[in-house]
Amino acid sequence: MSQLGTYLLLFALAVSGYGLIAATVGAKTGRPALVESARRCAFALFATVAAACVTMLAALLTNDFAIRYVADNSARETPAFFKALSLWAADDGSLLLWNLILAGYIAAVALRFRRDRPPTFPYALGVLFGVQVFYLTLINGPARPFASLANPPADGRGPAPLLQNHPLMAVHPPFLYLGFIGFTVPFAFGVAALLAGQGSDQWVSVIRRWTLVVWCFLTVGLVLGALWSYSVLGWGGYWAWDPVENVALLPWLTSTAFLHSVMLQERRGMARLWNIALVIGAFALMTFGTFLTRGNVLSSVHAFAQTSVGPAYLAFLALVLLAGFGLVAWRLPELRTPATLTSAISREGAFVANNVLLLAATAIILLGTTFPLVVEAVSGQQVTVGGPYFRSSVTPVFLLILLLAGTAPLLPWRATNRSRALRRLRVPATAAALVVIVTAGAGVHQVAAVAGFGLATLVFVTSTQEILTGLAIGRRGLRGGAVRALARGRRRHAGLVVHIGLALVAAGIVASSSLGQQTQVTLKTGQSTVFAGQVLRYQGLRTDQQPQRIVLTATVSVTDPGGGAAGTLGPRMNLYPASTEPIGSPSIRRGIVWDLYASVISLQQSGGSATFRFYRNPGVNWLWFGGLVMALGGAAAAWPGRRRRNPGDNQGASTTRKRTAVEAGAR
Amino acid sequence: MTSRRTRLLAGVVAVVAVIVALLMTGLGRDPSVIASPLVGRAAPNFTLPQLGGPPVTLAKLRGQVVVINFWASWCTECQVEQAALDQAWQQFQDSGVVVIGVNFQDTTGAARDYVRTDGVTYPVVEDAGSKTALAYGLRGVPETFVVNRRGRIVNHVIGPVSAATLITEINSMLLKGTQ
Amino acid sequence: MTAAGTLRRARAGLAGLLVLIALVAGLATLVIVAAGGHPRASQAQQVQQIAAGLHCPICKDLSVADSPAPLAQQIRQEIAQKLRAGESADQIRAGFVAAYGDSVLMSPPRHGLAGAVYYLPLLVLAAGLITAFMVLRRWLRAPSPDPPQAASPPLSAAQRRAVAKAVARLREEEPG
Repeated sequence: MSQLGTYLLLFALAVSGYGLIAATVGAKTGRPALVESARRCAFALFATVAAACVTMLAALLTNDFAIRYVADNSARETPAFFKALSLWAADDGSLLLWNLILAGYIAAVALRFRRDRPPTFPYALGVLFGVQVFYLTLINGPARPFASLANPPADGRGPAPLLQNHPLMAVHPPFLYLGFIGFTVPFAFGVAALLAGQGSDQWVSVIRRWTLVVWCFLTVGLVLGALWSYSVLGWGGYWAWDPVENVALLPWLTSTAFLHSVMLQERRGMARLWNIALVIGAFALMTFGTFLTRGNVLSSVHAFAQTSVGPAYLAFLALVLLAGFGLVAWRLPELRTPATLTSAISREGAFVANNVLLLAATAIILLGTTFPLVVEAVSGQQVTVGGPYFRSSVTPVFLLILLLAGTAPLLPWRATNRSRALRRLRVPATAAALVVIVTAGAGVHQVAAVAGFGLATLVFVTSTQEILTGLAIGRRGLRGGAVRALARGRRRHAGLVVHIGLALVAAGIVASSSLGQQTQVTLKTGQSTVFAGQVLRYQGLRTDQQPQRIVLTATVSVTDPGGGAAGTLGPRMNLYPASTEPIGSPSIRRGIVWDLYASVISLQQSGGSATFRFYRNPGVNWLWFGGLVMALGGAAAAWPGRRRRNPGDNQGASTTRKRTAVEAGAR
Repeated sequence: MTSRRTRLLAGVVAVVAVIVALLMTGLGRDPSVIASPLVGRAAPNFTLPQLGGPPVTLAKLRGQVVVINFWASWCTECQVEQAALDQAWQQFQDSGVVVIGVNFQDTTGAARDYVRTDGVTYPVVEDAGSKTALAYGLRGVPETFVVNRRGRIVNHVIGPVSAATLITEINSMLLKGTQ
Repeated sequence: MTAAGTLRRARAGLAGLLVLIALVAGLATLVIVAAGGHPRASQAQQVQQIAAGLHCPICKDLSVADSPAPLAQQIRQEIAQKLRAGESADQIRAGFVAAYGDSVLMSPPRHGLAGAVYYLPLLVLAAGLITAFMVLRRWLRAPSPDPPQAASPPLSAAQRRAVAKAVARLREEEPG
């Protein structure tokens, strides 16, 4: 199977190499037949890489320990579910998944543009194949998953204990990769537009929807990562400002900025240069993130151990930066837009402010994360930049973003009739002020928390008010009523739904960071303690022998102060043979307002006594729910609307403007 | 090509070059290795109970070369360096060199079993509460500190220490004579 | 102005006044909270605060306060002991830096090259504001590119009334 996999990957590399050459030559010499052959290659490429993945999966499930990756990351006792997940548990395997998803995106692009194509298509295809060539070269060179062992062991080492502890491992990496790798598509079309000299608005309508879909995937991937950190790692939090977590956030912030400023280009033909730069920037940040994660440059929970691929990723990053921003610099004179503005206090001005704030947050996080590297390079001093720094520097920016999200939807384009905007601000502003007063009165003493609750309310009420108003207007004189009104103002309403999700996430973040409580207590069997208004009694230790591990569950009973039994908590310690230290699993009683969270830190006297950490975490479930709402809102905005003509997104700005004008009329 | 374009392109190339140069410095090092600030400074004093003997005080060993090795019975890598430490002790204990094993986050019973089964011959002390480990900036086991006759730490090894390193270090300090 | 009109205007004025009062009260509350002193921390809370500023040496990202590791627990006990012995928070932190180096602090020390990180957020925001200012100014100054309207046949009085009514209705309903 090792041979089969190796040959499949080599073949994939050859196919993508051909695709790159054919697409680029066909684009430059204007030969559509070549481009068409490159387009069809995309399907062959995807099939080949998929076959390689299936081969690896088969090797994992059949315990083929002759393959080094299987011997390192799987074992006979590992349950089949986690054996399958081992496919992406470690460096080489996850690179295989990376290649699969990239090939999938190229195939999707090839499928989507099988008939009408924008003029940028050939070059974009070339760029896509080019990126695939890089990742396939890596997987055929320094990071070969199908490398075989001369003396296969009788049993494998098994996956890292932390990665076989929870089913979330099944969804977090795939969604994250779908989000990251997806940025290759807008990047390819952006670069193609620069290469072909198409600085006009044509490429934007193609890119916007792709970026939105990718953004949805990335949002889900990030939320799942936070959910994993919370439900699996047992420290009671969900975001540790780990370097890899930070760089994963950067493309998300940049693409959010793009999704807003792209409206400037669609509506008013402004900010063309800026939009292309944003799209290139998002991809560059993603590539930088990949370099940081896999290049063993900073110490991180997520770091893969490989050191030989670091220089390759750095070289690729350099290429991306030079090619992308070099082309922008080259085409600068043609990209400058003759834009006008009547007033800064308008929707246009708000989008500018949105971009400034989101990119400021991006820069702060990027600089803070790489700061230890820079300091050590310059002076040799080793320092840490951790959570407290990021929290205090990003919080003001985040609050300003909330303020903007709560007021900007009310601002008109071109600043016509702002007094109406002010009138519509009355209810949200009053609601926010009331929440501020109530929160402060309830005893919250951090000003950022009080302001945060107020601003989250502002965003929530503004967005809801605008959706309801839109429904009411649209309903008048329209048969089909609310649903049709929703559908006609779809993009705007979906955007407002995303803002509602943002308000929920913000409220969750504020609540969990400022109102949480925790305690550490050692209890003997039968002993109890009082925490968060509940009586917690340690009932005893239960041992569970499983084929791949021993599970020790410390059962804690939860009783209401009134005496009514509320349930049990069962925090666990998992003992894996490969690891000297036990891996803890927390037990969580989730509630709408707050979670009761328990972790067992250590056991004494063979379970006669146990040390627990109990947490009261308010608002955490608003985070997960809000994230889901944001992703759904984004999906609704990306949903293809009723097409008036054949797949004609390549018609460019005129169609988009007409459609948005119709949507505007319906509001 | 207009001069403005050239200047812009040159600017892009310059910025990318700086970024790449910075990131390249990061590639050469192992990010998990953190330099100890104690090298070159006085070794923190301690008085710890010994397994099967009287308590050991570091200050009383002034005038001898001291090799302080932090270990634990649950640490698999510690077994790798066991032979090297024993060899150093056997070879140099009469030349004014002391090897001390400091047990880290362990139980007395497990430590005693380890000493017995692995045949540890040099003095072993227990650091319950890890006060000494914290004073020495311990990030894990095994870690070894070499202290010269004047009580200054001259070397710090993270991970199993090899026999070659130990012997070279000790020899170089013995050769320095009364220093 | 009719009586109904006056009443409507009075009600709108009252509503506006109430909103204003609410906003002022809200802002005042924020100022009060910001200026409010923090209650004196108990010893346990002091340990938490100091622990939150130290990086757990064997963990990747967690502070000593958050980490469940045994070494972190022992560090917390050490901090409690030193507080009882009368050491100040700064002295305790300095003690750990002496053993572990600057990287044991969760945030870089404020002096020297490493201290530059604290100026970064302000610099970034300032750069962003300046760029935004320059962009907006360029946009505000450029003349409008709207093409001149082609001459169209004049509207009849009835058509003009219909147009005016439709525009008025749109203005009433459209948020912008």
